[in-house]
Amino acid sequence: MKQLIAVLLWVSVAVAQKPPVPKTADGKPDLSGIWQGGGAAGLSFAIGADNAKAARPDAAPAQAGRGGGARPEPAPYQDWVQPKLKEIRDRRSIDDPSGRCLLVGVPRITSMPLPIKIVQTKDEVIFLYETFHAFRVIPTDGRGHPDDVDPSFMGDSVGHWEGDTLVVDVTGFNDKTWLGGGGASIHSDALHVVERYRRVDYDTITYDVFIEDPKVFTKSWNLAPSFLSLRPGERLREYECIADNQDIQRFEELLKTPSLFVRPSQ
Amino acid sequence: MRALFVLAVLAITAPAFAHHSFAAEYDGEKPITLKGVITKIEWENPHMHFYLDVTDEKGQVDAWKFEGFPPNMLVRQGWKRDVTLKVGDTITVFAWRARNGMNLAHSREITLADGKKILSGPPAGIGGGN
Repeated sequence: MKQLIAVLLWVSVAVAQKPPVPKTADGKPDLSGIWQGGGAAGLSFAIGADNAKAARPDAAPAQAGRGGGARPEPAPYQDWVQPKLKEIRDRRSIDDPSGRCLLVGVPRITSMPLPIKIVQTKDEVIFLYETFHAFRVIPTDGRGHPDDVDPSFMGDSVGHWEGDTLVVDVTGFNDKTWLGGGGASIHSDALHVVERYRRVDYDTITYDVFIEDPKVFTKSWNLAPSFLSLRPGERLREYECIADNQDIQRFEELLKTPSLFVRPSQ
Repeated sequence: MRALFVLAVLAITAPAFAHHSFAAEYDGEKPITLKGVITKIEWENPHMHFYLDVTDEKGQVDAWKFEGFPPNMLVRQGWKRDVTLKVGDTITVFAWRARNGMNLAHSREITLADGKKILSGPPAGIGGGN
């Protein structure tokens, strides 16, 4: 019993002594490190439920509603999109661009089950994603979006600090990715995303996302709040997606016989 | 209008964690549990595969193939390449069968020879429902 009490005391002291949020030389919260997105559920999926509990015993209660199982609001799609959403469902998402290893766009990249390395400098925040080796170099020196942006999978990102929050404005998307959050998939090249990253404690960055796309949504909306978990001791690994990908070949075979996978008409 | 709303909810087709559609390839309503001997392991991203020789009560041997998590995820869940699973190991696999009717399935849980259970893949239906 004494040993149990000693262990409990040690645990409570260890939790209480969590290091403070690191700061950069210019006083900004330092987001640098390796992180796993997707909230508590994302962490559990990525590293296993037992490992997640060991790594973040505080995740569920402390971050309730932030990716801990909160049911997202349905994306406010315009009526003309509904038949396309039905088609996606009936085809059991076989057309998901990520299944072909295409870059998954923002914000979906943040919640993929592979880690993210953030490198923060005075004038830039650099995101390196293990997923499909994506990267984002986000200037924070006050510049705006370039005037020659070509539509792209990951869009063009510029950031600025609002107090302790890194606010990233993302435009310049193509329409070839699926949103992948809040039940959303289809978007247009008018997609505009605003991400807010705030390191609220040593091992947590809260992640809030505002989305608007006047071509497909009836109004702007927000993803369910989520968070990224610090992954001390982790490293990025190669994640080559095409060379040994057997799913792509199986998709092609299935597409020759849609009756094998398409939902029967209702 | 109500129908459209219901449709919008049902159309939650792109779960945040999925890499690709599980449901297009595998049938979440066709679970299968097989015991056999590992003959080959393809420890490759973006998804590992392993092969099992399954012997029925008549002595007939069927070769089965299973998909699993990416190695990058497996190592973070405690797997070690060439240690956790080895050719020659006898294991029991819980999986969901492929829609193409082949001896192919997506593994979820493996029971090792010593009885230890380890996760090897996602729950059924991720990415597109069942």
